[in-house]
Amino acid sequence: MSTSHNTHQQTQFSKQTDLTEKLVGLHVSKYNKNRIFLVLLSILSIIGLIGLIVKISTDGFDNPAEWGYYVTFVVFILTTVQAAPMVAIAPFIAKGHWNRSITKVAQLFAPLGLINLILFVPVLCVLPSLSDGRRTLWFFESLKMHSHMPHIITSISFICLVLLGIALLWVSTVPDFAILRENSKNPYHKKLFSILSNRWIGTSKQWFTQKHRIGILGAFYFMTLVILNFQISSDFAMSLIPGWIDSLYPITHAANSFQAGVATVILAMFALRKWGGCKDFIEFDQFWALGKLMFALSLMWIWFFFSSFIIFWYGAKPTEKAIIELSMTGPYFVPFLGSAFLLFILPLITMPFNKIRRSIWGPTIIAFFILIGSFLDRLRIYVPAYQLTEHPNKHNIYLADIPATILPDIPDIMIIVGGISAIILAYTLLTKLIPVISIWQQKELSLYKIHKKFHRTEVLVLGKPE
Amino acid sequence: MFNKRSVIGLFTDEDSVADALDKVSESGFSSAEYEILTGTPYPDGTFGDEEPKHKLYRFPIIGAMCGFIVGLLLTAGNQIAFPLITGGKPLLSIPPMLIIMYEGTMLGAILFTVFGIIFESRLPRLFMGAYDTKITEGYIGICITSTPEKMSTAEEVLKNNGAEEVKRGWE
Repeated sequence: MSTSHNTHQQTQFSKQTDLTEKLVGLHVSKYNKNRIFLVLLSILSIIGLIGLIVKISTDGFDNPAEWGYYVTFVVFILTTVQAAPMVAIAPFIAKGHWNRSITKVAQLFAPLGLINLILFVPVLCVLPSLSDGRRTLWFFESLKMHSHMPHIITSISFICLVLLGIALLWVSTVPDFAILRENSKNPYHKKLFSILSNRWIGTSKQWFTQKHRIGILGAFYFMTLVILNFQISSDFAMSLIPGWIDSLYPITHAANSFQAGVATVILAMFALRKWGGCKDFIEFDQFWALGKLMFALSLMWIWFFFSSFIIFWYGAKPTEKAIIELSMTGPYFVPFLGSAFLLFILPLITMPFNKIRRSIWGPTIIAFFILIGSFLDRLRIYVPAYQLTEHPNKHNIYLADIPATILPDIPDIMIIVGGISAIILAYTLLTKLIPVISIWQQKELSLYKIHKKFHRTEVLVLGKPE
Repeated sequence: MFNKRSVIGLFTDEDSVADALDKVSESGFSSAEYEILTGTPYPDGTFGDEEPKHKLYRFPIIGAMCGFIVGLLLTAGNQIAFPLITGGKPLLSIPPMLIIMYEGTMLGAILFTVFGIIFESRLPRLFMGAYDTKITEGYIGICITSTPEKMSTAEEVLKNNGAEEVKRGWE
């Protein structure tokens, strides 16, 4: 008994040592990889920056109609990249264990909000002040509110979301920084990780407070993300379209944000598994679990969308008919059709099949199309919304004449391609600083996970500490 | 605080740590004088040590109560100060008051929780104590921090109870 016990303990100890060595090795191996890929992404990001400069110099901020695609892109990044950390937050709060391997994959998206915060500045410059007479939630005339209240309040929420994301990532990575501090050969890296690990030595109290901090920061991140979705969808879209009053649109926006956040993480998982050397840690289980979640969120999105649509459809007041024509059946019919197909119909006709759902390729392909669907969904709302800021009927109760479709210009395309490249570039660079597979969480999992013989087969037994 | 010395014993086996910890206690060290260092979070009570205590849960409860009271006073006070009968409903009508009371409760809970995190974190550790980089490899450490006179006892207890290595923090 004693020998068997000692052997088990020795195995447990050697498992921990091997895992540390393997994961540190995996992280260090990333330092000099993907140089050509990074150079290519840097060039595309610079092209995006040039596109932005050209746009500012040619269109200026006085013509919001020209900025519809830009705003669409910024909101798209908010609802995909900045929603991705929710994949790490929700299972942590629910005390799930399957997601340990992908916690960091999701959390690494949080600091990328900083890029979007910078991209958000032109959006603030473009949004007209409340003094233009549009109807908003701010009671501008009656309560004598500041004419830039939407700008101020949304900026505060945006900054809070980015700071919370960075704090969440840092707090949950401190133990890994300590491991890298002890294992780095390069003195510069040692110094850097020493600062980032903030005197972490792994006392029981440090682990205890870290767990609570992650939980609380995660809950605040979730709340702020929902609030920001509400503010963006009501002040930067709905209030710009005459007669559009829909209390369900903000939650539809937020539901799509969660759906797109999961899709973003699935794509990142696929890339890291395929090209990032994480095949041993990001396995079929994670794709399967997230695929199911993504499918459930697709159903949730259509539920909110349809609840809101049916009121407009049966109400059929002139203002409601105008909204349906503007964002669905009229000039933006193709993006609407695309978004409805990619966000709901495609997952519905593919994900119920085991062969697709229980695979790595299936959820990844569906995730890619969901991201395209999300972009089209943002496009059909935000492009016409900014188009209408200069419309002669913008103060009317409803739109008598629906404006024609606007297509993106060259700088818009440069910004979109460059922006996506900048996000991928920043993510790849972050993986060189922060281990993409959380070392301490993998070690913790190894404490609780054993394979056990069960009659004539073998089963995985997973213990839960709480 | 500054007249303290620290020693760390390194173990590979969880049960040896638990046994050693019992001996450390029996040798006259209080729970404030020793702590467990690990490279991964173990469930509370694994080593038979005292579970860390925190008062974080009190902050949101107090905050929520304060927020609720402020929301109640604000809505009731407003309606009494500016008595306007709306829709034939009573002056102090509960349903519309609930919205502000709920918002106040949530806001109070959130603000107090933020304050609670800062309060619970307090200042960083000034005295770091003994430490060994092997902790991140998978070793488990018992770190005893006490007066210089008790250091020889501490080293002896750790050595006699399965520590693979004992390291002095002051060397």
